[in-house]
Amino acid sequence: MNPIIRRELLEVLRTRRAVALQLGLALGCALLVLLRWPTGEVADLSGARSMQVLRVFGYGLLAGILLLVPAFPATSLVREKMKGTLALLLNSPMRPWSIYAGKLGGALGFTAVLLTMTLPAAAACYALGGTGGEGGIGALYAVLGIATLQLTTLALLVSSRAQSTDGALRATYALVLVLCVVTLAPHALLRGKTGPLVESASWLRCLSPVPAVMEVLGQGDVGSHGISAGSGVFLRYLFLAAIFSVICAAVTVAGLNHKLFDRARSAGVMTEDRSEAGQFFRRVLFLFFFDPQRRSGSTSAWVNPVMVKEFRSRRFGRSHWTMRLLAASAILSLGLSYIALTGALGWGIEVVGGALVLFQVALLILFAPSLAAGLVSAERESGTWQLLMMTPLSPGTILRGKLLSVAWPLLLLLCATLPGYIVMMTIKPELIHQVRRVVICLGLTAVFAVLLSAAVSTLFRSTAAATTASYLSLLAVCGGPLLVWLGREAPFGHPTVEAVLTIDPVAAALQASATPGFARYELLPANWWIIGSACVALLVILAVRTWQLYRPE
Amino acid sequence: MPSGQPVVETKELTKQYGRFVALDRLTMSVERGQILGFVGPNGAGKTTTIKILVGLARPTSGSARVAGADCVREARKLKRLVGYMPDTFGSYDNMRVGEYLDFFGAAFGIRRKQRARRIDEVLETAGASTYHDLYVEALSHGMKQRVAIARTLLHDPEVLSLDEPANGLDPQARIEMRLLLLDLAERGKTLLVTSHVLPELARICQRVAIITRGKLRAFGTLEEITRQLHPLRPMEILLTNADRIDRVVEVVKKYVEPGAEISPAPAEAVVRFRTAKREEELAGLLTALVAAGVGVTQFREVATDLEEAFMTVARSSESDEQEGELARNASEAEPARSASEGPISPTRQRGGLR
Repeated sequence: MNPIIRRELLEVLRTRRAVALQLGLALGCALLVLLRWPTGEVADLSGARSMQVLRVFGYGLLAGILLLVPAFPATSLVREKMKGTLALLLNSPMRPWSIYAGKLGGALGFTAVLLTMTLPAAAACYALGGTGGEGGIGALYAVLGIATLQLTTLALLVSSRAQSTDGALRATYALVLVLCVVTLAPHALLRGKTGPLVESASWLRCLSPVPAVMEVLGQGDVGSHGISAGSGVFLRYLFLAAIFSVICAAVTVAGLNHKLFDRARSAGVMTEDRSEAGQFFRRVLFLFFFDPQRRSGSTSAWVNPVMVKEFRSRRFGRSHWTMRLLAASAILSLGLSYIALTGALGWGIEVVGGALVLFQVALLILFAPSLAAGLVSAERESGTWQLLMMTPLSPGTILRGKLLSVAWPLLLLLCATLPGYIVMMTIKPELIHQVRRVVICLGLTAVFAVLLSAAVSTLFRSTAAATTASYLSLLAVCGGPLLVWLGREAPFGHPTVEAVLTIDPVAAALQASATPGFARYELLPANWWIIGSACVALLVILAVRTWQLYRPE
Repeated sequence: MPSGQPVVETKELTKQYGRFVALDRLTMSVERGQILGFVGPNGAGKTTTIKILVGLARPTSGSARVAGADCVREARKLKRLVGYMPDTFGSYDNMRVGEYLDFFGAAFGIRRKQRARRIDEVLETAGASTYHDLYVEALSHGMKQRVAIARTLLHDPEVLSLDEPANGLDPQARIEMRLLLLDLAERGKTLLVTSHVLPELARICQRVAIITRGKLRAFGTLEEITRQLHPLRPMEILLTNADRIDRVVEVVKKYVEPGAEISPAPAEAVVRFRTAKREEELAGLLTALVAAGVGVTQFREVATDLEEAFMTVARSSESDEQEGELARNASEAEPARSASEGPISPTRQRGGLR
């Protein structure tokens, strides 16, 4: 047996955490089926009840795979690289493909075990009847299996190129978002048109497992209208995902060699030390202030030094990256507004508002943990926390500086997306009240996301673990209730869905923007109170933990 | 603080983690401008002591003062008086050396105008002037150690606590580090240095503290420790040839203390022995040997180095621990008898050893 599989699969399976995860998953699935198991004397011959269960079950599994599967392989190779054990492996008689097979097998094996634990619940759905045929359980598992392979190979590719575990996690989750959601956008935007571009967009969306799962569960396609949804997505997805996985694997294996450790150190040449022509070129290219090679000045006495340090030590915190991000956000926001203005797609202003909200929330969910999850854990991991403790800075100053370093970029990011709302209000001035409510929701979401990630950061010594835990917690709060919303007609009733959505800041923002599907729920101001209270509780946890960590041993 | 007064002073310093005693009643003092070498095996309590002295850990009992500040009650004041260099560098990604030091300078409240000048000064002192624009993570281990020294000096502390500063350095970098530490001591800084590289430490330290299993086993100058460990001086007589080695042993026996250890080594034409005799008496021995017609090429005292002293202390403390363990087992097995005979001391107190 491949020694890496033995180490990374069998030893993981022997841990108590793995056993608990398997049992928890099996119990959760069993509970879901029990909820809809027929109790009366009249049987549901149409199979509608079992399909309702299968949908929640299927989307739940898909969400679990999208959120959990990338975390393990994303840190797998980069961690070995940082610890130096990858060099030992490459120096052993094992070939690169054998090392890769071990890593891939380990990650896939564990997911396969977890998926197997859900089979009894799937069998119960089958026993209820009505889940056979084209949208059957077998097809669902086929999509989930290939999605696992696709995400694992993608995460391993990122891991082989990354320089840090938390960087690998951030990049992997960003790519998962692009692969699963962004690939759907061109097809949605070009709906109703014909031509080669539309055909390309139609194939592009098949890279995402979401339309395939929707088709398998008999729900058409993302944003589809009636019977106009395309078919054959399932087979296209299997084909494209398999090719995608093979390409990712080939690129990763090709890169598993000594060159990973054969990199020159940066000479650190500053713009001021370049020739006059070189200086001129860089100053024009980076507009002087945003030149990353410009010699930075001393930290002013008026600003928090920890905040400045955080900005300077982040790759994306540097001004040139921040400006690029802001520009991209503003352009996208205005683009969405332009779509609403021209009405080219026949979308209402509410749908565009919903899209804007989702776009902003996606940015928040992506960036808040990536910025805040390492605030304390990274310091503890690198040993700089005790250096901070040796300075006269109080824990309050440290905490304030760290939170400000996350708050500013997120605030700028939110502001960069606001022009879209301004355009919407120009078109429809009566929307001002609605926009105000949406902005409050988004502001609270941002605060909640930052505080949650920062609080999680104080609980872990490893940044990779803190980043994963932050993403999972945030997605559980923001995305979990939406799974219940998917089953809003059945199996869940209106009061249940409304109660669950009340804790979700994303649902509240969507309701505030009167997005179709959310407008009929009354989530505000209850949601503001819940999220506000949660923010206060998280701030207390953060402050207490920081103080605890700052105390001498 | 006037010269001659202790800058670092600990009294009965004890640190316990649950039932584990990491530091057991440590008492010592170091004067201004001295370099104290902390020697001990891994897990001996060196880093725990340093952490208490810089305010990163609190003692379970006892007291410690550094440059007049109480390490427990005046932790905030202590931070400005002490510079601490841990055994890990502690780097931030994507930062240049200048920015890295600027952050710590700002954290210590050094004014903006003075900070740039101060950064240049400490980099110059640490021999790292050319590193200013380099990325911290791109530095080699030796370069990082220099930057760490510069960071430690940034706020001009009175006392520097350096945890393994020579760890992982190549021979040249090690020599440069040694010269740097001596230079800092000459500037009036008091240095507490832990190291496993004992010959290096022996060359720079005015005082040495040997600590094992949380207990201070020996403390003082290397000469004092050696004398404490070996009251009998090791001597060596090198002969022109081994023909008359038995005669030499006979003459030496008359001069040294009865029962003293005398080891002839015919293969090397050397006679080794230990004695407490003074120089004048030993001069008499040499005269007697020459008068007996023995060809003596060298008559000398063998210098004991720090490594030997450390090994002697380590072995002694290990055997003490074993004896203590046996005694504890015996007392547990026969509580009634132990009670009647009185307590058994867990450690054997020897002359010279603490």
